[in-house]
Amino acid sequence: MKLILLFLSAALVNNFVLRYFLGICPFLGVTGKIRAAVTMGFATTFVMTLTAAIIWLVNHFILVQFNLPFLEYVAAILVIASLVQLIEMFIRKTSPVLYRALGIYLPLITTNCSIFFVALFIPLRNYGFIESIIFGFGAGLGFTLVMLIMAGIREELDFADIPKSLQGASITLITAGLLALAFMGFTGLISV
Amino acid sequence: MNLILISTLSMGGLAAAFALFLSIAHRKLKVEEDPRVEKILEILPGANCGACGYASCHALAEEIAKGNASVNSCVAGGNDTSQKIAEILGVESEVIQNKIAFLRCGASQLERKKKAEYKGIKNCQAADIIAGGELICAYGCLGYGDCQSACLFDAISMRDGLPQIDLARCTGCGNCVKACPRDLISLEVLDEEPHYRVVCSSLDKGKKARTACEKACTACGICAKVCPFDACHVIDNLAVIDERNCQGCGICAERCPTGAIRYSG
Repeated sequence: MKLILLFLSAALVNNFVLRYFLGICPFLGVTGKIRAAVTMGFATTFVMTLTAAIIWLVNHFILVQFNLPFLEYVAAILVIASLVQLIEMFIRKTSPVLYRALGIYLPLITTNCSIFFVALFIPLRNYGFIESIIFGFGAGLGFTLVMLIMAGIREELDFADIPKSLQGASITLITAGLLALAFMGFTGLISV
Repeated sequence: MNLILISTLSMGGLAAAFALFLSIAHRKLKVEEDPRVEKILEILPGANCGACGYASCHALAEEIAKGNASVNSCVAGGNDTSQKIAEILGVESEVIQNKIAFLRCGASQLERKKKAEYKGIKNCQAADIIAGGELICAYGCLGYGDCQSACLFDAISMRDGLPQIDLARCTGCGNCVKACPRDLISLEVLDEEPHYRVVCSSLDKGKKARTACEKACTACGICAKVCPFDACHVIDNLAVIDERNCQGCGICAERCPTGAIRYSG
């Protein structure tokens, strides 16, 4: 039960994009088309889940054992960069079309702040191994969900009659603000 | 001192472990790629316009390197591009005819008469479906610029509700031809000789065409009478210029009472 609550908390209540304002760059940059947004979301979810697992291992067996908590940042960068390299090779091998469609955004997952946040949050909250994985996976799925919602709205916005001064970036930011407001409604669900 | 040693060793060890893992993964997941594909891709325009029939410039580069597509497949790049690609592959390239897009409607926003006010989605495709938009003329340019947004080379700009095609930028890829719901744009030969073309597509009879638009071809037949080379004819209430006979003298354009024949480069 606790794990389910943790999952819901990471995905909906404390949604990374709309609650903590993390990972805004892919949120605004890749949400023009639904397909690209969902692919980006799942790639990020994959990296996040693996990062959560590995960062817990690194933290538990190296940083805590040798009393080196100040190296958290360095370790997180190492883990994330290597994982993104791995997923890039994997996608290039399995689906060249997807590799070209994602283009520059694939290596940019490295600098996605939401993944870094996962890596720093786990030692802070003292999550266990399973809890860490659930947390990373939930946060990733929450990110994917928000990307999907945003891309869907933006595809509809293409045909809307928007006043000239609000076209482009400004209507996107207004939409993002309204979405964040709507997601605040989940706050009453649970408090984790 | 001890702390520095431990931190260096632990992080170094971690990095070494990841490096080892990545190098194994790299060997397992290696993708072999023809080095010529990259070179050809650099020469191609990179607009992914799709005029060659392949999904992207990268897909065409792969097919050319494999030998499945000919070196002059790139429509947008023209002769320069095919020459350079031919050099890389060490083959001869045939010269291809350059083409440009040409709009067969010449009436600006004020000259086209309206039958109603259109307040729907502001693009030609939608306007054309809903009772032909606000124009009386069922053949003319709707002026919402679908061709402009389809053009990947910035060659089309809208002026007075009519697309202006920049001949220097137009590559003849044909994306605007597909985008126009009224089939007003066609690809025409671009060479040194002067060309006169009919800038109207209306098949309505004289009087009806005239009430719809000030610039309409009314099928009066003057061009057919004055043409010394038998190049102008009136077919289905519309003047048609036969490019095989046309010598580019321009008498038809001078004598056309509505200005529906123009010099087009």
